[in-house]
Amino acid sequence: MVILNTVHFKISLFLFFSIIINLLPLPDIINSCRPPILLLILIYWSLAYPNKINLTYAFITGIIMDILLVTPLGFYALTHVITIYLITIYYPQIRLQSNINKMFSLLIILIPYIFMSTVLNDILEIQYNILNIIFSVIISVIIWPVLFHFLRIFRQKYV
Amino acid sequence: MLNDDLHFKESALSFWKLFFFLSISIIFLFFDKDLSLSQKIRERSNHLIQPIYKIAELPNIFFNNINQHLNTRNKLIEENKALKKKIFIQSGIIQKIPPLKEENKRLKKLLDSQDVTTSSRIQIAELINVNLSPFSNKIIINKGKDISLFEGQTVIDTFGILGQISEVNESFSIVTLITDPGHALLAVNARTNKRIVISGTGDNRFLKANYVSLNQDIRQGDILITSGLDNIFPEGYLIGEISKIGNDKDEDFLDVKVTPSSTLTSNKEVMLLW
Repeated sequence: MVILNTVHFKISLFLFFSIIINLLPLPDIINSCRPPILLLILIYWSLAYPNKINLTYAFITGIIMDILLVTPLGFYALTHVITIYLITIYYPQIRLQSNINKMFSLLIILIPYIFMSTVLNDILEIQYNILNIIFSVIISVIIWPVLFHFLRIFRQKYV
Repeated sequence: MLNDDLHFKESALSFWKLFFFLSISIIFLFFDKDLSLSQKIRERSNHLIQPIYKIAELPNIFFNNINQHLNTRNKLIEENKALKKKIFIQSGIIQKIPPLKEENKRLKKLLDSQDVTTSSRIQIAELINVNLSPFSNKIIINKGKDISLFEGQTVIDTFGILGQISEVNESFSIVTLITDPGHALLAVNARTNKRIVISGTGDNRFLKANYVSLNQDIRQGDILITSGLDNIFPEGYLIGEISKIGNDKDEDFLDVKVTPSSTLTSNKEVMLLW
């Protein structure tokens, strides 16, 4: 029962469900520019508990995503690790920012995500549309305050 | 001071972690294609992955069920009528097939050419409706080693060739669609009997024909069928129709676009050929 109450266990469970959210089928139009929800949720948790949720979590969730989504192994792991590394450096600054500033910081933090997904797709010869990736980032910036708010309520209640 | 010090230590530690994980993932990326690591992991952890797909599919199934319940009686009756009519017409068409087969055999004997054995067994598999990465041209089906599928097996739907099986696991397998950029197959133009290499573009709406010389007899609306020469796809299944021919004098080859005849995006069931 001790394990069930630890922060690690609760967050792992939460991340597991967000992986399933990532797998949910959507119509094609939305699907092509869907935001990286798992990555956003990971960013939130590593902002909240930077000492606990760090690169190990990013790497493991990335590998799980690679296996489930049939992408080349290491693709999501690489993007997750780099993004979460930025959070582990800049979390003291980001935490103090207002909501709008947070949105801008998220935009900057997700730039490596755009860069990595385009470059990796080029190297691995996967077809992609750069507009879709940019759209997905814009959508994630727009939904960020709402997501942040919900996750914060969840954290204060259960974790 | 103390806080700063802690933060510094952490960031130094996380730098080494970053280095470690980055190198691991880059090594994975390099060797995944040759060693097929992820395939092996999927094969081993089949029993863990299958339930996750099942859970991810649940909301979709739920909404479909609601939709079914809300279908009115009249609508169902109408649908039934339409389907009956379709079956009636199609069975009329099918009547012609056995004599045509015989005639074909006879003509082939006259020409001294080999009789091509057509595949006899067909099995239906259902799609596992999960969202793979938006640009991957792969789908997952719910049959695997349990009905002895094999790699390279042909997958079709009611309109034409969908793709081939690229990975077989215990209870699910992964199908690479013909529109995958890494996929190519040898087709035959049904009108002229010329062979054409068809490869995927990554876009589910188009295929492209490669190495079509500028003077080749090819027209818009030509129908392409599988040639059977690639030893993967059996002969005579529909691939698509030539939709656009771009003629650029500076290029060495024609730029030919092909519209696939199978519905690559919205399937529920697929057929597997033996």
